[in-house]
Amino acid sequence: MANLETSLKECLSSIDGATAAALVDYTSGMALGTLGGSKNFNLEVAAAGNTDVVRSKLRTMEHLGLKEEIEDILITLNTQYHLIRLLKGRSGNGLFLYLVLESSRANLAMARHQLRRIEAELDV
Amino acid sequence: MAVETDVLAELQRLRNRIPQLTGSLAATVDGLVLAQDAPGTEPEGLAALTAAVLGVAYRMTDATERGDFRELLVRGADGYVATYAAGPTAVLTLLAEGRVNVGRLHLEGRRSGVRIADLVAAARTGPETGRQGDRARKPDRLLTASADTSRPIGTLPVRTPQPPPRRPRPQAGGNR
Repeated sequence: MANLETSLKECLSSIDGATAAALVDYTSGMALGTLGGSKNFNLEVAAAGNTDVVRSKLRTMEHLGLKEEIEDILITLNTQYHLIRLLKGRSGNGLFLYLVLESSRANLAMARHQLRRIEAELDV
Repeated sequence: MAVETDVLAELQRLRNRIPQLTGSLAATVDGLVLAQDAPGTEPEGLAALTAAVLGVAYRMTDATERGDFRELLVRGADGYVATYAAGPTAVLTLLAEGRVNVGRLHLEGRRSGVRIADLVAAARTGPETGRQGDRARKPDRLLTASADTSRPIGTLPVRTPQPPPRRPRPQAGGNR
């Protein structure tokens, strides 16, 4: 079991092309922890904005009558991938991991695989 | 009156940006309403309460050496009340539903606080740079309200009661 700081550090160190990571509470839209980012890439803004993405998707699924769970969400930009992975289990209820990848350096399949492993080990 | 209009426009912009916002109010630190967009509430009462809670918040940040007051978040079972500093003389109070995105509320609230501070500051320095006629025609309530900066922020104005011009005569038969 890894704590929050360790998990965020592992996101940036073990996933190729990762530039920023955050653990976000989507019931409030606030970040529990952030790592990376820059002056031009404010992770607090990203946390609040992506909370709306997750909530929107959950609401849509509810309206469609889908009894499923979101495993992850991938957003592809010109030069970046944004990965959102919802946490499972009691302690991770209402939380998601948010990962920013540089698409030129990243291996998407590997990144997803690593993120799944990090999420499984994370104990909030 | 131009400031009120500008601040009100800012409040309406906020409502568009945060769907779960149920009301907003800009007030001076001593509890006078600058502009409000809070249907179903009593804006004067809310502004006065904001001033009161602000006084405690200022003393709290001061006593614990946390620097200048920035914001205050109160959560009830059915929603949030957030107050953000808008410069040294004004504050912004937002009312939101329980399922609001607090991260977004903070982002927009802080941003709006800065904008309202600019509007208020511009109004205070405004008369020198123009709009003389506008001001001469109608004195701005905000300017007179926020002109008193001699006393420290967060303390209440001290009012000395004026003695009545002559002693009120007891009413005949009032006590029987």
